[in-house]
Parts: sequence; structure tokens; C-alpha cells
Amino acid sequence: MKFTAEQIIDKSAKWVISFFIASAGLWLLAAALLAYCAAAKLTDPFFLSTFEFFTYGKVKIAQANAFVYGWGGNSIFAVSIWIIARLAQAELRGRFLLIASGIIWNVGITLGLLGILDGHMNAHEMLEMPREIWPLLFISYSVIASFIIVTHRSRSKHETIAPQWFILASLLWFPALFIIAWNGLEINPARGTLQAVLSMWFGQSLIWLWLTPFALGVAYYLIPAITGRPIDKYYLAIFGFWCIALLAPWSVVHHLEGGPVPMWIPAIGTVMSIAMIFPIAVASTNFHATAFKDIDIVWNNLPLRFVIFGTLSYTISSYIGVVFSLPAVAKLTQFSIINEFHFNQRVYGFFSMIVFGAVYHMLPRVTGKDIPVGAKSFHFWTSALGVLMLLLAYLIGGLTHGVLAQQPSLDWASSVIASIRPYFLITQIAFVILGLSQLVFVINIWKVLFPNPFQFLNNSSNDSAKNAVA
Amino acid sequence: MNNIFKFSIGILSALAFAWLAFVIGARKQFGDLEPTSSFLEDNGSIPEGAELFPKQLAGIAQQGAKEYISLGCTTCHTQQVRLEDSGFDVERGWGKRPSVARDYIFHEDITIGNTRVGPDLANIGLRSYSKEWLHQHLFEPQSLISESICPPSPFLYEEKDFDTNNAIKLTEDQIDKPRFIVPSLKANRIVSYLASLKQDYELPEMSFIQQDEELIETSELSTVSVSENSDSNLSELPTWLASQIASGKEIYMKAAPGGGLCFTCHQPTGLGLPGQFPPLAGSDWVLGDKERLIKISMHGLMGEIEVNGVKYNNVMAPPGIPPGSLTDQQIADVLTYIRNDWGNSASSVSPAEVANIRSKVKDRAPMQMWTSAELKSN
Ligand code: HEC
Ligand code: HEC
Repeated sequence: MKFTAEQIIDKSAKWVISFFIASAGLWLLAAALLAYCAAAKLTDPFFLSTFEFFTYGKVKIAQANAFVYGWGGNSIFAVSIWIIARLAQAELRGRFLLIASGIIWNVGITLGLLGILDGHMNAHEMLEMPREIWPLLFISYSVIASFIIVTHRSRSKHETIAPQWFILASLLWFPALFIIAWNGLEINPARGTLQAVLSMWFGQSLIWLWLTPFALGVAYYLIPAITGRPIDKYYLAIFGFWCIALLAPWSVVHHLEGGPVPMWIPAIGTVMSIAMIFPIAVASTNFHATAFKDIDIVWNNLPLRFVIFGTLSYTISSYIGVVFSLPAVAKLTQFSIINEFHFNQRVYGFFSMIVFGAVYHMLPRVTGKDIPVGAKSFHFWTSALGVLMLLLAYLIGGLTHGVLAQQPSLDWASSVIASIRPYFLITQIAFVILGLSQLVFVINIWKVLFPNPFQFLNNSSNDSAKNAVA
Repeated sequence: MNNIFKFSIGILSALAFAWLAFVIGARKQFGDLEPTSSFLEDNGSIPEGAELFPKQLAGIAQQGAKEYISLGCTTCHTQQVRLEDSGFDVERGWGKRPSVARDYIFHEDITIGNTRVGPDLANIGLRSYSKEWLHQHLFEPQSLISESICPPSPFLYEEKDFDTNNAIKLTEDQIDKPRFIVPSLKANRIVSYLASLKQDYELPEMSFIQQDEELIETSELSTVSVSENSDSNLSELPTWLASQIASGKEIYMKAAPGGGLCFTCHQPTGLGLPGQFPPLAGSDWVLGDKERLIKISMHGLMGEIEVNGVKYNNVMAPPGIPPGSLTDQQIADVLTYIRNDWGNSASSVSPAEVANIRSKVKDRAPMQMWTSAELKSN
């Protein structure tokens, strides 16, 4: 049989990608389960309250970590490998080491989450997994990222394009952020609230400089690939890219407004958050001007529908984010559950939706098998519904929370918290919907990746990757 | 953009700008704050003998901070009182003044948090809750505040249906069948930590905010005696505090020059002897005002005294061999020790504080013992 160049590339990456997607799927489910438990604990504090390892704080933190590092990390690896290899027109290098490091990454996260539940939580945002785990994660990450970069460097065309910048930058920013934060918090620990500044900076930058540029890169790749049109006003993309690179690391600390840190820190954060309007506008123009030239295709092509949902959510909620960083508003909402809105809109509404789209686009090409349309569209509609419910509940609930908290005469538990409890109930329902939807997604991809999971019993010479995953 | 090395250098130096500001710049600006006195001399120096703030957290409280983090309490509770024009935190009674960076210099891990599903806890130790209340709350918040969504931690307690030594009665079912809980070591650490959270001093950069109503009650430390099973795990304390406590213990137990002989009367357990020698464990005197303790350690104590509601009438000669000979350092050490053993946990005492009091009472005759009434009137 004769293969096209694309097919050869896809084939070279098949097992690596399958491994990462399959693990990402499992983490997604784990996170969904934890998210449900955490939400249930807010509506009924006695829900599973007798287990020390399952107290609200631990579950909540474990959920965020499973989501960002488990689902986020694995899906970033899978999708970057594919897009970078495709754009480089080169076969994937280092397959064996990639899978080995992938196993280490996943084992590391598993141990880290168990460590959190077992009471070894660290105090730093998004670095809560126990200290001992991090070297493991860092090394495995570096190996994976290096091979992606090696593959990129063996490309046939010298010129690079927007998806490559964004994806490579995100791959490089994570270790840089990590080294800075690790040095300032563990090796050479800062004293007093400086620690809090640094830990918040890391936690927020992780989302702004790791998840966000990656998802933008994927959108820059998929939108023209699916619509068959070049990106509209492509010359703006480079401006948007450098705006994010220069502004985002500054804009993330406005959450400290009025807190025990020098005033310039939140002030600079606020100014830079407002300046973030530029990159948001650029991305939005690039994506939507291209895609909406042909509404039909957005509507009918499922992967594209996911991606556009993600980019729209990015645009709208980033503008909301800018509004909420204005000091007058920040004062109200700073410590409210609006923080959950910001987190979830980034990781669910934007990042995950785009990754779903990318997986649906990529899997049939890599495995040669298609996912049933019914299941895909069930997944889309339930995800969309769940995400909207979740975000609206946190947005409206957060505003209520913030406004009431500013009334000193209202009793905390019986007025302030009592009036946001209905929103907690909505989020709980939303997490049930999202959980179901993600279950369908994971079953779908697993069915495609491993159509006959017990085949290895008959044919033990089969691939080891499958065993590692099972 | 096409060369991966140049590209990496570009994007990483964009990051480096922010790093320079937040890490290097901020560290330079406020990375090495030191304790200071509430008010400074005109020339900006610390007045001689003035009490310095903030204080180290007591050993057991520092361990409590670790438990607090490991249970994820920071997901719902902040520990920062915001500036007046950023919010109504002071009006809400969450503190006497906004928090400043200096308040946190002795905290090993920073728990200022960023979400307030629960109230701010920066000054929970200033609210009029007894340790008993804090235990009941930790065990099951809903038994005190029915709408609360603060997660219960029954796993930190042992439940009993009869009263035992350190048991705490649960308020909910007092009537027919009372239930009791015995706090574990972890629970004691957390409660000591919470009780020690208070920004009740002024700093040159931030003074108290005057309010119309007295929303905040300055509570004396609660008089409830906490459980016995303290474990001043010295290895976890900062070394200077651990060594102060260790040397204090030696003085407490020593019956030779340089020793305080305290154990002969107050017993190695700190429990004293009923009717004769008052307890130091859980004593409202030991956990209370330091000035009185320093005075007692210099000149002794006589006459009627009430400790935790029980009256004693006996004589404590000026401690030391010969009587009244303990140095400032020795007094500081032994007091720091008795404030941090047997489940006690209160701030340490420094030699400077002792010297300060000594100079205040330098006209007092060496063997002239204090009376409880005299100490209370000052
Ligand atoms: C789900 C969020 C949540 C978590 C997690 C949480 N709390 Fe709370 N906490 C609350 C709420 C809501 C209140 C207000 C109602 C009340 O007083 O019980 C509260 C109140 C408190 C209070 C009383 C404050 C006051 O001023 O009356 C204390 C003390 C407290 N929590 C300690 C803790 C400790 C210790 C932990 C960690 C084991 C913890 N909380 C974890 C939500 C939370
Ligand atoms: C000779 C026995 C004796 C010795 C030795 C002694 N005390 Fe006391 N102490 C007493 C008595 C008796 C009282 C109560 C005095 C009264 O009734 O007025 C007391 C009261 C106290 C109190 C205040 C009441 C309380 O329980 O909180 C403190 C604090 C105290 N002693 C600390 C010490 C320290 C520290 C030492 C060692 C440096 C020490 N004592 C050595 C007998 C002694």
C-alpha cells in the first residue's frame, strides 16, 4: 500500500498520541468526579465529611490539579505533537522516550494527587502537589517538550506560522515559570507575603502562558485547516502574540488589590490587564472574521463548532475579565466566587472546548476510524449547556457574593453565604451534566483508540503502550 | 521567529521582565522586613526597650499552620484585612486595622488566600471565641451555626458519650444525651494556631482604625484549659525558639545555681498541687499578660490569687538560687517554656522585654513579693 506524506507522519505519531489522549481522557473523568464531589460538599457540608482524605479543601485542590496537569498536560502533549509534526512535515522523533516520559508524568501526577489527599499539600497555588513529585514532573516534561522541539527543527520549510509560535511558546513558558516559582518558593524561599505574590503569579501565569497560548495556537491551526480559508488579517497575529508575551506575565497579579503587598504590584496588574484588550481583540478578529465568512461550515463541522465555541468564550470572558480588573469592580468581586468563573471559563469554556475540537479533528486522521456523529453532537450540546450553566452560576453568584460581602451589617453565614447557596446547587447540576458529557467523550475516544481492548490477550505481541494505559 | 533559539530567547526575555519586577524588585523592596516597635522615634529608630512586633508564632501554632494548609482551609478562608478604600473588612469586624506585609514575616507558609467563602481569619484569635468554641466549630460548624458550609472535621476528634479528662461537651445535644469529643493532637494544633492569629498591635506603617461601635472585642486569651497531649516537637520550630524553649525547660527543672526550681512546686507536669501550688498548664496567668509573669519571676508572689477561677493563698519566694537571681535571659527562657509546654501556646518572651520591665521596677526592694491585687492594678 502507498501512503501519503501526511499518513506517514500520522502513523509515526499514532501510539504516542493515543497514549496521551487516552490518559488525558481518564484524567478528565477523574477531575469531573472530584469536581462533582466538591460541589456537592458545598450544597451539603456533610456529604462524605467523615473521611479525612476527602475533606472539601483537599478535593477542591486535587480537582484543579487533575484538571490542569492531568487533562491539560496530556492533551497539550498529544495535540502539540500532532500539529507540530504535521506543520513540520516531519516524522515524530523519540517515540519510545516520549511514551516513557509520558508514563512518568502520569505516575507523578497520580502520586501527587494521592499526596494531596493524604495531607501533604503545599501552600502554593497550582504547586500544591508534594515537593518530591516536582523533579519527576519537570524532567518528564522537559523530555517531552524537547522531542517536540526536535521534531519542529527537522521541518522541511524554514518559515514558521502562528500556530507554531503559540504552541512552542507555551511549551517553553511552562518550564520557565516553574523554575522561577520553584526557585523563589522552595530553593531560595522568599519571606512573608512576597511568597504569596510569587505563588499567585505562578498559578495565574500557568493559565495565561501555558493553557491559553496553546489553545490559541490550536485555533490558529484548525480554523484555516477546516474552513480552507487563510486567517483574515493574518499580519495582526504576530502583534497579538508579542502582546501576550509581554503583557500577560504582568497582568495576573491584580487579585492582590488592597492586600498586604506594596501597592504597585496590584496597580501594575490592573494596568496590564486593561492593555490585554489588544491581544484579545487581535485573536478575536483573526478567528471570527475567518470563520464567520461561512457560518454553515461552523454549524455543520463539529470540530470547528467546538473550536469556535472556545474562541467566542475566550473573547467574551476575557473582556469580562478586563472589566473585573478595574479597581472599582475588583473591590467588589476580588474574593468572591467570581474567581471560579475566571478559572472555569479558561479551562472549560476555552481550553477544553478547543481541545475537544482538536481531538475530534485529529483522531480520525491518526487512527483511520471515525467517531459516531450522534455521540459527538451529544457531547457538544451537553458540554455547551454545562459550561454555560457553570459560568453563569459563578458569574451571577460571584457578583451577588461580592456585593453582599461589602455590606458589613449582613451576617456572613445566614445572609451572604445563604444567598449564594442556590448558585452552588446550579454548579452541582452543571457538573453532573459535564460529567456525563465527558464520559461520552472518553468512551468515544477510547473506543476509537482501542477498538478491541482485549486483543492483547490473544495477541500478546501487541503494543506495550496499551498496557501502560490500561 | 523562524530560528527556535532566537525565538526562545525572545519569549523568555519577555518573561524575564516580569520576573525582574516581581521577584528581584519586590524582594529588594520588602523581602527583608524586620520586626519593629509600634511607634518610632523622630529619627526613625526604634525606641529603646520597646516591644517589637510582629512576634513569632508559638511552636504549636506553627505546626497548626501546616495542618491548616494540608486540610485546604485556604480554599475558602483569606487571612488579610484589606485597606480601607478596597473594602469593608475592618467595618465587618475582621480586624482592628488593615494587614500589612510586615505582619507575615514570621509565617513560614503564607496563607493569605484569595477566596472568601468563609470569613477572613487574619484576626480570628481576637474574636471572643474560647478554645472550646473553636474545637466545637472545627468538629462540626453546623452545631454552632446551622447554615454554615464550613466543612466538619469529625476525623480530628474522638467521640465519647461520657465526660473524660480533656473532653469538650458538644452544645447541640446538651439536654438529653450529652456527647463529648476529645481533640486529637492535630485538632489542638489547629485550634492553637487559630487562637494565635491576631494583628492586635500597631506598626509604624499602619495604626488601628477608629470605629464608632465597638465591633471588635479584644478578648483576653480564653481561660479554657486545653488538652494535655501537647507535643512541643522541637525539631519543627525555628531553631532560636526551639533553643529558648529547651533552655527554659532546663531552668524549670534545675535545682542548682542558675536554675529556677519551679518544678518542685508546680510539678514537672505543670499541673501544680491542688490547694497549694497553682497550675501553669492552661493557666490564665501564664497565657496572659507577660509583664505580670516577668514581675512574678523577678520578685515572687504572695497572698490570695485566683487561677482559672480557683483561689490559692500561699507564697512563692522570688525564684532562683539565691532567690531573685534569675537573669533577663533566664527569665525570658523559662517563661517562653511555660507558655509553650503542656498544651500551652502563647508568644515567646524576649530578654529585651524582661530588661524593659526590670528597669520599670528598679526601685522595688529585691525581696518584696508582688500580690495578685497589685499586679492586676497595674
Ligand atoms: C467550603 C469552604 C470552607 C472551608 C474549606 C473552610 N471553611 Fe471555615 N468557614 C466557612 C464558612 C462559610 C464560615 C462561616 C460560617 C461559620 O462560622 O461556620 C466559616 C467559618 C469559620 C470559622 C469561624 C469564623 C468566625 O469568625 O466566626 C472558623 C474558625 C473556620 N471557619 C475555620 C476553618 C478551618 C480551620 C478550616 C479548615 C479545616 C475551614 N474553616 C475550612 C467556609 C469554609
Ligand atoms: C516554692 C514553691 C514555688 C516555686 C519554686 C515556684 N513557684 Fe510559682 N507559685 C508558687 C505559689 C505558691 C504560687 C501562688 C502564689 C499565691 O498564692 O499568691 C505561684 C504562682 C505562680 C504563677 C502565677 C499563677 C499561675 O499558676 O499562673 C506563676 C506564673 C508562677 N508561679 C511561675 C513560676 C515559675 C516560672 C517558677 C520557676 C522560675 C516558679 N513559679 C517557681 C510556688 C512556687
